[in-house]
Amino acid sequence: MSDIIQNLKDSFGSYGFSSWQALVSLLFVVVVIVIIAKYRKDIFELSTRSIVAVGIGAALYAAISFIAIPIGPNTSFRIAIALLTIFGALFGPVVGFLVGFIGHALNDAMAWGSVWWSWVFLSAILGLFAGFVKVDKKFNPLKGLLEKKHIVQMYLFAFMSIFAASLVAYAGDVFLYGEPAGKVWLQIIIASFSNFGVIAVVGIPAVIVLANMNKSKQNLVEEE
Amino acid sequence: MSRSGSLYIERPSIIHRLDGSTKLLLLIGWTAFIFMFMDIRIFSIMIVLGFSLLKVSKIPWKSIKPLTYFVVAFSLINSLILLLVTPQYGSELSGSYTKLISYFGGAITLETVWYAVTLSFKYVSILPITLLFVFTTHPSRFASSLNRIGVSYKVAYAVSIAFRYIPDVKEEMMNIMHAQEARGVAFRKGDASLVKRLRNFVTILVPLLISSLNRIEVVSNALQLRGFGYEKKRTWYNRRPLTINDGISILLMTGLIGLGIYLKSQLTYFWLFY
Amino acid sequence: MSHIVFKNFSFQYEAQTNPTLKNINLEIKQGEKILIAGPSGSGKSTLGHCINGLIPFSYHGKIDGELLINGKNYHETSIHDISGEIGTVLQDQDGQFVGLSVGEDVAFFYENHNVNQKDMFTGVKASLESVDMMAFIDETPHNLSGGQKQRVSLAGILTTNTGILLFDEPLANLDPVSAKHALELIDGIKKDKGSTIIIIEHRIEDVLLSGVDRVIVMEEGIIVADMHPDELLPTDILVNAGLREPLYVEALKAIGVTISPHDAISKIENIKVYKENVIQWFKNAKTQEVVERKTILKCERLDFRYYLDAPWVIKDVSFDIQKGELLAILGNNGAGKSTLLKLISGIIKQNKGDIILAGESLNEQTIKQRSRRIGYVMQNPNHMITKVKIFDEVAFGLRNAEVPEIEVEERVFEALKVCGLYKMRNWPVSALSYGQKKRVTIASILVMKPEIIILDEPTAGQDYRNYKEFMGFVNELRKSGVSVVIITHDMQLALEYADRAVVLSKGSVLRRAGVSEIMADKALMQQANLRATSLSDLAMLVGEEMESAFLSRYNYYMGGLNHE
Ligand SMILES: Nc1ncnc2c1ncn2[C@@H]1O[C@H](COP(=O)(O)OP(=O)(O)OP(=O)(O)O)[C@@H](O)[C@H]1O
Ligand SMILES: Nc1ncnc2c1ncn2[C@@H]1O[C@H](COP(=O)(O)OP(=O)(O)OP(=O)(O)O)[C@@H](O)[C@H]1O
Ligand SMILES: [Mg+2]
Ligand SMILES: [Mg+2]
Repeated sequence: MSDIIQNLKDSFGSYGFSSWQALVSLLFVVVVIVIIAKYRKDIFELSTRSIVAVGIGAALYAAISFIAIPIGPNTSFRIAIALLTIFGALFGPVVGFLVGFIGHALNDAMAWGSVWWSWVFLSAILGLFAGFVKVDKKFNPLKGLLEKKHIVQMYLFAFMSIFAASLVAYAGDVFLYGEPAGKVWLQIIIASFSNFGVIAVVGIPAVIVLANMNKSKQNLVEEE
Repeated sequence: MSRSGSLYIERPSIIHRLDGSTKLLLLIGWTAFIFMFMDIRIFSIMIVLGFSLLKVSKIPWKSIKPLTYFVVAFSLINSLILLLVTPQYGSELSGSYTKLISYFGGAITLETVWYAVTLSFKYVSILPITLLFVFTTHPSRFASSLNRIGVSYKVAYAVSIAFRYIPDVKEEMMNIMHAQEARGVAFRKGDASLVKRLRNFVTILVPLLISSLNRIEVVSNALQLRGFGYEKKRTWYNRRPLTINDGISILLMTGLIGLGIYLKSQLTYFWLFY
Repeated sequence: MSHIVFKNFSFQYEAQTNPTLKNINLEIKQGEKILIAGPSGSGKSTLGHCINGLIPFSYHGKIDGELLINGKNYHETSIHDISGEIGTVLQDQDGQFVGLSVGEDVAFFYENHNVNQKDMFTGVKASLESVDMMAFIDETPHNLSGGQKQRVSLAGILTTNTGILLFDEPLANLDPVSAKHALELIDGIKKDKGSTIIIIEHRIEDVLLSGVDRVIVMEEGIIVADMHPDELLPTDILVNAGLREPLYVEALKAIGVTISPHDAISKIENIKVYKENVIQWFKNAKTQEVVERKTILKCERLDFRYYLDAPWVIKDVSFDIQKGELLAILGNNGAGKSTLLKLISGIIKQNKGDIILAGESLNEQTIKQRSRRIGYVMQNPNHMITKVKIFDEVAFGLRNAEVPEIEVEERVFEALKVCGLYKMRNWPVSALSYGQKKRVTIASILVMKPEIIILDEPTAGQDYRNYKEFMGFVNELRKSGVSVVIITHDMQLALEYADRAVVLSKGSVLRRAGVSEIMADKALMQQANLRATSLSDLAMLVGEEMESAFLSRYNYYMGGLNHE
């Protein structure tokens, strides 16, 4: 076992990445979650509406997963990723996480008959981080509440989410599935660019559109 | 895929009669077992065992065929890429270098080829148990099974809602596409360039979201009006009592995991070369 | 003891500047059956939400005044407690069918209240039997028709054993016979359990014929009438609120009869007293001549099914659409009406047969190509709406066709005025009621000026004022040479506006003929789950063999009145 780890360390190392860095980063993710949980316990609670949001979000994820363009070795450009950003931002981190987890697993199982678990977690983490912007009570796109700083935050969390999700997928692929680290690294870099692209160009703008729409729903007057 | 959006096929088999939670545990246990190794002998045994179980479940080969072919194709492509990207990975693991093909700058080693083959076997050996689960577990039973193995009933019910509304959401998406198409937007190959079509797909996202948000509102109202989410527990219309077969299956699975841990301590990680 | 009491009750949605319900005073007693009617957007559903607790627990806003249910102020408890008192059937059938199968959906209340499985099975069985759906217990929602889903919802609230049942538009999208069954079921429950029944509906005549104790008429959030139908029907209250009176009442008034509250006109048997007036009128009435038209679209021997091993949904269907006519497609739920029109618009492709538009085969044309000449308005407006703002939604097609923006504005304004949405043109679509959304989608097709317009149940869930205005517009369109095809369950619409009708049943054409002939063909009507309107009851006063003649003369007469 220790030899394997040694080997992995070597391969991590040869691609400019070492396992202690990975550990520190994961620790960092955990710390972020714990801090947020301490201040805003309520965003981790599940109301009936959140449950339904998870269900419908997962159904949507499965339904639009067919819109995908292969861009690398077993990696594709998927618009469905944008849903994670949107559901996370609208309903919070737990909903985001579950939409990613359930949506990805269901879609894998139903479309391909087998589930690629490490990438299921990748989707889940993207959704989780997208929900952190809800920590600010002044952010609520469903009520039309969205400020400039929230947009910056969303991009920031998106960036962090890509980082954290990559680590998780990487660890899963290498330790569980036995993929060579170098190859996984390549796939993850490609997927990260594509996912960040989808989140930045489709996901976050969609949240902004929804917020503006709900803002304009207030104070309606008839015009002649 | 059937209209209900699931792959379930009704057959009178012993595996169909197992509880969903048992099959879920089998799926988890089996996958964990496979994850422990990189040994083609174990994978071969599990593939034979897995496909025999599929035979027992009476699921027609016709339904399994495309998915099996897909995984095999996936594994082959994956192996090919592995050989190209990390041509010496197998050797790095085993410490022996047997050059097969050399090309400018590098060489593919026999060890790596063997590693790629083993990896393909690994992927195929996870397949049968997943197929077994998705083809023999009715979506209605799925939520209560999740709840039985300890997932909170609310989250379990979210999965049920997903199953319930996948066909509706799909139909909605088709309708939105048709309505857009009828007003001059291109989605089909040949009507516009790939980038343009992709952009058009993005434009259906907002209406799809709006109608989904609307649906979330209606469905959560309906759930609340019928008392969902208030009690700590809930009962399940579709839950069946566990049978002796469920017990035996769980025992066998525990045995398998035990065996796995034992073998792990006896075998080397990458068989044949290391 | 009173069941429900509103005292000086007002409600204002968070997102609105004005209250939606204004100073409501209303008392509903145990065992009463109440109809709540009112134009679209008048606050009927909002009132319903207040009763079942969605306001304030799901929708937030400002409440003034008092609402007591069984003597308790439930706004201070929880929606869970209210759900033990009131069973609700929502307007949206697919939204409220939450289970993966019929049995599961009916058991939902039990599951949430930790009822054990044995009791659950007996309860589900009993409920399904009382709505006659036991045979469907393992069916998935997709395999059920609208009427069947409605029955399942009913079975679902039967398990709750609540004293008050609230129905929000239970009849929308049901064919006439299914609607009658649904109302009979509701009455059966009322009789068995003595429940209080509150029905919100646009189809006033159907509900009144099933017998109600009181009618509450709402307009702009205010209750404008609260009385027994016998008192209400002789007045002009319904008409003034923009609602449709029962047809026979409208007809009697139109031919000059004065109705008195003592005649108890809400029971249709009582029209006997006016027999002489009706016969007198019939003798003097004239009928319309038939107009010759040119065929514009022909369907020849169409066959279609959704899946390879599924049954045929359309079998050997041939018919034609003529230039400038209004053609009604009639038939029960699931007969294949929507499918047939999807074939014509190109959304799906027939397995066999030809569709020919003005001599040119459409078989190879895509939706996009056909859409320039055939406009298709879908049944569910949410499926069509793709833009945030109403104006943009209606302008979308024109902008795609790169029409200059000045012309876009002109045409969009025109279509919006026709559909009664002009004043709201800058609103987001999401702020509209279902009926209003439906009008947006109709406007977005009208604006394209197609040769043939296909409307899938355009008037379902609409109030009468909009219906009248809209059908008037469709009539004008037809005169300008556009052909209009309408799927409808409203026999009166067909009779009043359609030149001809095609009757579909189980995917085959049963008959193509004038509507008054079809309505006089009792065997056909039964086979296709259609139901004659109450005008036929008036015609019976003249004589059974005169039904067709009576209907066409009445139609002609009304046409004359409307044009004066
Ligand atoms: N959630 C909401 N937020 C803000 N305004 C709302 C909301 N729901 C309804 N309204 C507004 O309240 C008014 C009354 O709506 P309501 O749904 O009660 O009408 P309705 O009488 O049931 O109409 P219909 O016959 O079309 O169903 C409408 O003008 C609508 O815009
Ligand atoms: N997308 C679909 N996939 C498979 N079957 C379908 C689909 N749409 C409709 N059907 C089936 O085809 C039949 C005809 O359906 P259709 O919607 O055309 O009926 P309809 O006459 O329009 O009914 P309604 O009055 O309820 O709208 C039904 O049995 C229905 O279950
Ligand atoms: Mg309403
Ligand atoms: Mg239809």
